[in-house]
Amino acid sequence: MVTHEEVQKLAILAKLFVADEELDKLTKDMEEIISFADTINNASVEETNFDNINGLSNVFREDVVIPSFSREDILKNAPDNDEGCFLVKKRG
Amino acid sequence: MAVKGKIAQYSEMLKNKDISCIELTQKYIDEIQKCDDKLNSYVTVTPDTAINTAKIVDEKISKGETLGLLEGIPMTLKDNISTKGIKTTCCSKILDGYTPIYDASVWEYLKNQNAVLLGKTNMDEFAMGSSCETSCFGGAKNPHNINYVSGGSSGGVASAVGGNIAVYGLGSDTGGSIRQPASFCGIVGLKPTYGAVSRYGLIAYASSLDQIGPITTTVEDAAIVYDAISFYDDKDSTSRGKSSANTIDTLKNDIKGLKIGIAKEYFDGIRDDVKTAIEKAIKVYESLGAKIVYFDLPVLKYALPVYYILACAEASSNLGRYDGIRYGFKSEDYHSIHEMVSKTRSAGFGEEVKRRIMLGTYVLSAGYYDAYYKKAQSLRGNIVKAFKEAFNICDVILAPTVPITAFENGHAVSDPIETYLTDICTVPVNIAGLPAVSIPCGFGNNGLPIGMQLIGDMFCESKILNAAWQYENTTGDDVFKSAEMGVKL
Amino acid sequence: MKYELVAGFETHIELATNTKIFCSCTTEFGGEPNTHCCPVCIGLPGTLPKLNKKVVEYAIKAGLATNCEIAEISKMDRKNYCYPDLPKAYQISQYDMPLCQNGYVELSSGKKIRLNRIHIEEDAGKLIHRKGDTLVDYNRGGVPLIEIVSEPDIRSVDEAKEYVEKLQLIMRYIGISDCKMQEGSMRCDVNISVRPVGSEVYGTRTEIKNMNSITFIAKAMEYEFERQVDLIESGGKVIQETLRYDDVTNTTSSMRGKEDAHDYRYFREPDLVTINVPKEQVEKIKKSLPEFPTQKLKRYVEEYDIPNTDAQLLTKYRKIAEYFEEAIDGIKTPKTASNFIIGQIFRKLENEAEKEEFNIKVSAKSLNELIKLLDSGKIKMNLAKSTLDKMLETGKNVYELISESDMGGIDDNTLLELCNQAIQQNPNAVNDFKNGKVKAVKAMVGFVMKNSRGKADAVLAEQKLIELMQ
Repeated sequence: MVTHEEVQKLAILAKLFVADEELDKLTKDMEEIISFADTINNASVEETNFDNINGLSNVFREDVVIPSFSREDILKNAPDNDEGCFLVKKRG
Repeated sequence: MAVKGKIAQYSEMLKNKDISCIELTQKYIDEIQKCDDKLNSYVTVTPDTAINTAKIVDEKISKGETLGLLEGIPMTLKDNISTKGIKTTCCSKILDGYTPIYDASVWEYLKNQNAVLLGKTNMDEFAMGSSCETSCFGGAKNPHNINYVSGGSSGGVASAVGGNIAVYGLGSDTGGSIRQPASFCGIVGLKPTYGAVSRYGLIAYASSLDQIGPITTTVEDAAIVYDAISFYDDKDSTSRGKSSANTIDTLKNDIKGLKIGIAKEYFDGIRDDVKTAIEKAIKVYESLGAKIVYFDLPVLKYALPVYYILACAEASSNLGRYDGIRYGFKSEDYHSIHEMVSKTRSAGFGEEVKRRIMLGTYVLSAGYYDAYYKKAQSLRGNIVKAFKEAFNICDVILAPTVPITAFENGHAVSDPIETYLTDICTVPVNIAGLPAVSIPCGFGNNGLPIGMQLIGDMFCESKILNAAWQYENTTGDDVFKSAEMGVKL
Repeated sequence: MKYELVAGFETHIELATNTKIFCSCTTEFGGEPNTHCCPVCIGLPGTLPKLNKKVVEYAIKAGLATNCEIAEISKMDRKNYCYPDLPKAYQISQYDMPLCQNGYVELSSGKKIRLNRIHIEEDAGKLIHRKGDTLVDYNRGGVPLIEIVSEPDIRSVDEAKEYVEKLQLIMRYIGISDCKMQEGSMRCDVNISVRPVGSEVYGTRTEIKNMNSITFIAKAMEYEFERQVDLIESGGKVIQETLRYDDVTNTTSSMRGKEDAHDYRYFREPDLVTINVPKEQVEKIKKSLPEFPTQKLKRYVEEYDIPNTDAQLLTKYRKIAEYFEEAIDGIKTPKTASNFIIGQIFRKLENEAEKEEFNIKVSAKSLNELIKLLDSGKIKMNLAKSTLDKMLETGKNVYELISESDMGGIDDNTLLELCNQAIQQNPNAVNDFKNGKVKAVKAMVGFVMKNSRGKADAVLAEQKLIELMQ
């Protein structure tokens, strides 16, 4: 069982805003998906040392500076910017 | 009869000056204009970029310079592959107006090869979906019948390539997103080994499962494109590049004695017409001298929940960055910065994406991590091991790509779980990091294409493409039937 | 009832690499906002991290310098939390397989403050609040950090101060960080609890975040200790919470808003691969490490016969120790060098920062030349001292300031002659001496020294003069 409270808590963690009228449906959806995920509970798992999928190790970069991007490019896609910074304006 | 790839054919025509690159490109642009109202495969068309590249190619031809195989060939990219200066939205409102300031490594490479980019193609939002219908632009349609979906998530690429309004395209495959739409649209889709193609610039859905690959009309084209894009990239720590020789070198080899494995779990619950088509294909392979080996892969029954748990967990983290501060859509309805972020995300993401973020958050959260994420990770290890053992007794595994043919428009959206279930045959490959190619193998009762996949061991793209080419070469036009639209040369 | 302070530290130290931890942008401090950024460190969609080799090497150095075990296998994890200064909404850090574990830092009392772990991670950007607007600068985002987590072994504010100073000293010594607290390249979170003296059970702890001065750490700890004791004494309970220290009011206050549910949902970073640290690599790094201050101190005292207090001054900063060691190369009297450094040279340096910089006009080689002349008897101490002063002023070397003819002592006859001259030309002094004013001889020694241009041996001259006058 997934409760409304749990869904709201998850939504806070996930940074999603859930309006009250959406809560019932989302809770129902979550319950359905989680019960689907629950099917792995029956699996008997043989311990494997599962690591990363392609088994690579020690992939490094040398400590050599490459010039950064222009600030114009960095800020290009920002909804708002000011004084060379990303900006979130104060509201109401 | 031997099926000649389009790429080699067009390349030769350019070289022989049968057609100029500008003419070729213009034909595609014109057909996009004509067909795309129906197909909805493109979300951004880039005629200027395309014509500019075509000019460069024509100049090279006029100077008698030699062309690379992909040079001057009109193509498309799924809208989750970053293109500098060209909008890249993942078909999500949250990336509305986002224009990358850098190129994905695959595109940087192809651009230097003078690949002619026609535009960016439609997809399920953030590659989450099986019908292309979670796209904020509406789904791309199936070129064989526009009342049916193109499949997903790389539906736009499959629709464009199947509809002959792109010669080839690059898609991405996290749980079947290249193979499933290729299967639905009756064309070829290759999901490479994890690490074979750089992910740098591919907007992440699930990092440990995502892989870029080609969608083409023929196996030869898939081999050519794969050979080109499977290079080592030092921007991607998980990149390895191709293992050794080009797949094109061994593409047409004899497959006498090739051991083709059949695992019965892949056939549980598949529709009869699909089953019949696959059985026919098995016969074709037998006639080509392949040996059929039967075995069980019982752990596959957990593949689907394992996939959804791992993919959603990674997605919930990968999609955390869309907060309205640095790029994309931003909600203006807020009092505090926290509220801005939540409102932006809630208004910017579609239902399916939010569902998966929530599930991913759930399986990683304190108290549930062990039961879901950790257990799924262990099962992943078991699935890897099971495939490893399978490849001790066979060279390639043959399986259906999807248990059904394309859905009717609007069907997938109504029932998420039922839709998830159609991914059952495609996800194991992503879980195990293996390569697999989907090729057409007939038509279903509703007249829509059926696909089968050939799965190889890690970095065995050569083997599966070789086996696929032999099948294609034996069957020909009745199976590899092009949709009646788009560019015909 | 008497209470005891129990404290542990989480110390973040910015590593002095050239580039950030996952991209090739510079780590330089300052710079116009968002000018040290690229698609990777502002978290543009599709970008991937690539680990800086130096970061791993530096963290291993830090681990070895603090007696840690170095993990043979390590990995990176994602720590998920959403905050505007964190561009990916997760910090790439290390969760259950840190690079270094189980070390300690030894205090001067001999007490060991145990270290639980040292791991590597990325720094966040900077938020600037301006009249309710929020501005974000990601220059610092992705700068490599090590986090050093101590066990709650600290029992007093003095121990805390020494622990932090010691960490600073060690990290600077091995050259992995400048540890400038005022620039934020070293920041401490302090966990504090109190318990009745004699109790074995830990009390509920609070965490004071982001302290960037030793003075404030001390004040905050004193305040928090009092606050917790008062709370318990008055029947209240300490709540486990995160606090901010306000240096203006000298108080602590709760930091978390209700939006910040914290559940970091750690999981392995799929965009990065396993880190293997072979034993040979650890050995190699170990060999490359400089001798640590404590070892040096011991050696200076035992081998060079330098007083402990002086040895402490010499070993406090790596540059001074290196200078000293170069200056005594091939020299019979290291103590002379020590005296020169602590006496004359330190006089030129105004404060600790200048000592640490150790920017002086006399190279270690020059000092070495000077002492060699002294050792061989070619010049005398007074000449050496005055020459060193000139060297410190002008930057000239000893040979530019003293000519060949000035070197070497003077023979007995010349000394006799000079002494006779002194007696003849200073009748008043001779008289004074004969009338019992023994000190008068000093003036005559000065005369001899002056006329010999410093080459005469002052002690011999004095003996000779007394002899002649008696």
